[in-house]
Amino acid sequence: MTPEGVKDNDDLVERLAQKSAEVNVLRRIALDINSTLDLDQIYDIVLRTMDKFFGFHHSIILLLEHVDRLRVVASHGYKDQALGGTVAVGTGVIGTVAKRRRLMRVNNLRSQRAYFATIRSQMEEAGRTGELGQIVPLPGLADADSQIAIPLVIKDRLIGVFSVESREPKPFSEHDETLISIVASQAASAIQNALLYRAAEERRKELAEAHEGLKQLNETLEDRVRARTKELEQANRDLRETQAQLVQSSKMASIGMLAAGVAHEINTPIGAIHSNADVERRAVDVIRGILQDPALVKKLGHQPRLDRAFKIFEDVNRITLEATERVTRIIQSLKSFARLDQAELELVDLHEGLESTLTLIGHLMKDRIKVIKNYGKLPKVQCYASQINQVFANVLANAVQAIEETGSITITTYQDGSYVLIQVADTGVGIRTEHLDRIFDPGFTTKGVRVGIGLGLSITYRVIENHHGSIHVQSEPGKGTIFTIRLPIAR
Amino acid sequence: MMDKAMLPDEIKPVMESGIPAIVVTCSADGIPNATIISRVYYVDKTHIALSFQFFNKTIRNVRENPQACVAVSDLAANIKWILDVQYDHSETEGPIFDEMDMQIEAIASATGMAGIFRLRAADIYCVKSFKKLSFTSASSRE
Repeated sequence: MTPEGVKDNDDLVERLAQKSAEVNVLRRIALDINSTLDLDQIYDIVLRTMDKFFGFHHSIILLLEHVDRLRVVASHGYKDQALGGTVAVGTGVIGTVAKRRRLMRVNNLRSQRAYFATIRSQMEEAGRTGELGQIVPLPGLADADSQIAIPLVIKDRLIGVFSVESREPKPFSEHDETLISIVASQAASAIQNALLYRAAEERRKELAEAHEGLKQLNETLEDRVRARTKELEQANRDLRETQAQLVQSSKMASIGMLAAGVAHEINTPIGAIHSNADVERRAVDVIRGILQDPALVKKLGHQPRLDRAFKIFEDVNRITLEATERVTRIIQSLKSFARLDQAELELVDLHEGLESTLTLIGHLMKDRIKVIKNYGKLPKVQCYASQINQVFANVLANAVQAIEETGSITITTYQDGSYVLIQVADTGVGIRTEHLDRIFDPGFTTKGVRVGIGLGLSITYRVIENHHGSIHVQSEPGKGTIFTIRLPIAR
Repeated sequence: MMDKAMLPDEIKPVMESGIPAIVVTCSADGIPNATIISRVYYVDKTHIALSFQFFNKTIRNVRENPQACVAVSDLAANIKWILDVQYDHSETEGPIFDEMDMQIEAIASATGMAGIFRLRAADIYCVKSFKKLSFTSASSRE
């Protein structure tokens, strides 16, 4: 029995050869498109093979972009390639295939369109244009006569449409439909795999970018934490300085009040002592005058004991007077140093402040330290007197402490334009080079915990900074240190 | 019992690609009507289908008189096929209906005629006989 349509053995052999060639091509396509995950390569293999081996010169692949729209992602054989063109689901052959998810083979498109166009013209002539819709331009051949469109479906989900067109009068056969269906089925799987791979790659890239972003954020966070820590450390230092200043101010206020109290209490008895001593001296002078009367001198004769007594008395009386004057000066210095009554910005004689300070720390120097005063002519300086005195006390006390045995402190003052400079140079042990950068840091001390808390120079620095001035230090270990304070005359 | 003719395979592509076909019907009172239709669908070897979109004279006639004549042309081969058919039944669902409906929708939607062309039914006709005429040997016809 001869298969349908077969003429003879030669025809049968020819048909078998053709079938075999087709199977080989289909197998080759399947292998090629499944060996890559590159979408463009898959499109290229499918479309070129359709042309080269099966003679389908015009083919197009569209992917579902939204639920209601397909976009051309690849095409072959078109003048403008139609790339990027879109088709609404439900419109035209391709749109209808997408909507119904069913293959469509149309072989008399031109005549059918002509028929529809005729009806449309008749309706337009009859004035029934209101019933007509828009003619929709679609990607592909405008004058195609045959078309096979196949939905690309994976697990009941439409991913696109594959369409082959021809303007030749030779129609697509059922055999063509079968060939294209097989290729489309292979293409759908390959495209889906490539799409999934691309989505996974994009996701991987997104994750990598997110990871990188997070990493950068972490690094930024670390920087921010470091910066914040630095800020907090600075705030802590500022707080300690402020606390120290408050304590110092409180101490100064206490000293001031104490000085005022002491002055009040001591001034009267000291005044009485001083006055009495003066009275005693004058009384003794009177007695000495009486005893020098010639009659009495002749009667009493030379009295060496009396002379010694007068000498002792004069010495004691002088010492008493000097002591009371010294006590008076100390009390005055205490009052001047604390300047409780002068807490506002005022014009201050800095030499007066230096002198008060020297008086108060005089007991530290005694005879072992010589103070050399190179005072220049200074105008009065606008400042907070009690704070500046505190600066002098800190600097001078450091100088005294730096001199272990004997030495000297040279105080030099002079005016430099709108500034005054106060230089305190000692012949002490000096400051080690590695400590020079830190001596104004709060808490830094080389004196040991029982001697200092390392806030004196820090407070000094802050006070001068608040006065818009500056302080510099030069030192050479073993030779001494020079502190130079520079203050503006007017704020 | 109605005679049936077996359509050859070669008529299938002609039906698919043929230019608009001609359908001739006749009313119950003997008045003939000829009209052009866009497509004749091959159902199987003994049946064809015509689309019922408008309730026109053709539809009225075949409902009154089921006998009809359909002519499809193969211009490339200069051949015309004449089919004597008889209206059998109408289908409003199923593969034949879906196929016809889909093709009409595809073309109508692109030509702004979606609201005009709508398949009401696939009218199934039984092929009673057919003739194959060659234009080049028109004198001999059958």
